[in-house]
Amino acid sequence: MNPVVGSYRERNTPMHRLPAWVKLPLLGGWTVVSIIVTDPVSAVGMAVAAILVLLSILPPLRPTVRAMLGLSVVAVIAGAYAAWRIDLSEAIDTTADFIGLFALSLAITGSTRMGDMLDLFTRMARPFRRVVPPAIPGLMFSIVVRVIPEVAQILAQSREALKARGIERSLRGTVTPTAIRTVGFALDLGQALHARGIADDAVPERGRRKQALAR
Amino acid sequence: MIRFQDATVVAPDSGATILHPTTLDLNERRIAILGANGSGKSTLARLVNGLALPVSGSVTVDGLDTRKHGALVRRKVGFLFTDPSAQLIMPTAFEDVELSLRRIIGDRDERAEAALAALEEIGLRDKADVSVNALSGGQRQLLALAGVLATTPSIVVADEPTTLLDLRWKARVGALLHALPIQVIEVTHDLDAATRAERALVVDEGAVVFDGDPIEAVSFYRELMFQRSVGELA
Repeated sequence: MNPVVGSYRERNTPMHRLPAWVKLPLLGGWTVVSIIVTDPVSAVGMAVAAILVLLSILPPLRPTVRAMLGLSVVAVIAGAYAAWRIDLSEAIDTTADFIGLFALSLAITGSTRMGDMLDLFTRMARPFRRVVPPAIPGLMFSIVVRVIPEVAQILAQSREALKARGIERSLRGTVTPTAIRTVGFALDLGQALHARGIADDAVPERGRRKQALAR
Repeated sequence: MIRFQDATVVAPDSGATILHPTTLDLNERRIAILGANGSGKSTLARLVNGLALPVSGSVTVDGLDTRKHGALVRRKVGFLFTDPSAQLIMPTAFEDVELSLRRIIGDRDERAEAALAALEEIGLRDKADVSVNALSGGQRQLLALAGVLATTPSIVVADEPTTLLDLRWKARVGALLHALPIQVIEVTHDLDAATRAERALVVDEGAVVFDGDPIEAVSFYRELMFQRSVGELA
């Protein structure tokens, strides 16, 4: 996926003005309704609505179209499987659900600052602070968003390295270095979290008390 | 003040000694650490903020033991990595600096202002909303530095911060580090940059083999590497 797709871009659209605490439940509610509603016409209608919402945030056009087309391939494969196992109506519903949810996710991540997401996740996790440090769920979310383009870049570099050695197609040759370098990146990221003192806050209250007693 | 007292580091898997017992006091504002790849110089640097811990002996920063008070030490000691990509945690430049500020500035608007000011200071104000993946290597390293400095550390340890950069960015990052009004310990292969320090250490095969004037340290290091190469060819 192109690194700019799904990344926040400063705009003044209705979606940008909508607070994160409205947008996130909207995505959750949309997901639930998508699953419950199995009528193909409604599913297609919801997908179209989600695409319109995505367009309303004025995303970078070419990378967004490319990302949507890429996802559509996955959605069509899932739809084909549903057509084979169940029927055509289920296939349309599955494909439309995939496309709609992806479009809405891009619309939300592209119109919401990660800081606002972090604040929201932190507030949501506060009641569980005895077992999970409130900062962690938000941090996990932002790390996922950060890591996706990084892995895509590692994958592209692995492919280039194969091409440079005259090997055009090798699944093992692509997947193995990508997996190893991704783990390496994750380890480096962990060290960086420690170095920036962010991981030091990632101790639940119960753990902090134990640490204090141990001193 | 940074104090190493017989600090020893051993590889957890192989049991090989990475750093032999080392005793040092590091007080100078500009310290360079030189050494070949695998010599133990990065381990020495990582001991300062508790990213690496000694198996015996101790490392203290302003009297705080890195083993017992790791979190407090890391608030005092910022760390800059060679590859800034892994150090940037958030998707955009603004958000990454803002993340560093979360612990020290509670108010959202104040935090946003401080993040923009930090970006302005290093010349990346116009890149605030740009994805970190879209920044050049030099811009990423500057951003990583802004993220470190935003937490107002009293010491910055930089582990080969300019190794991956071209000459222009090397000069810019080097100049920024040099101008910082705090203690800077820089692990480097840039011998010119090393001569600008007040004190230089040469690390070889897990031990500090030279400690003193930077110009003499560079000469010592060059000679050491030359003699070793001659020995290997013989």
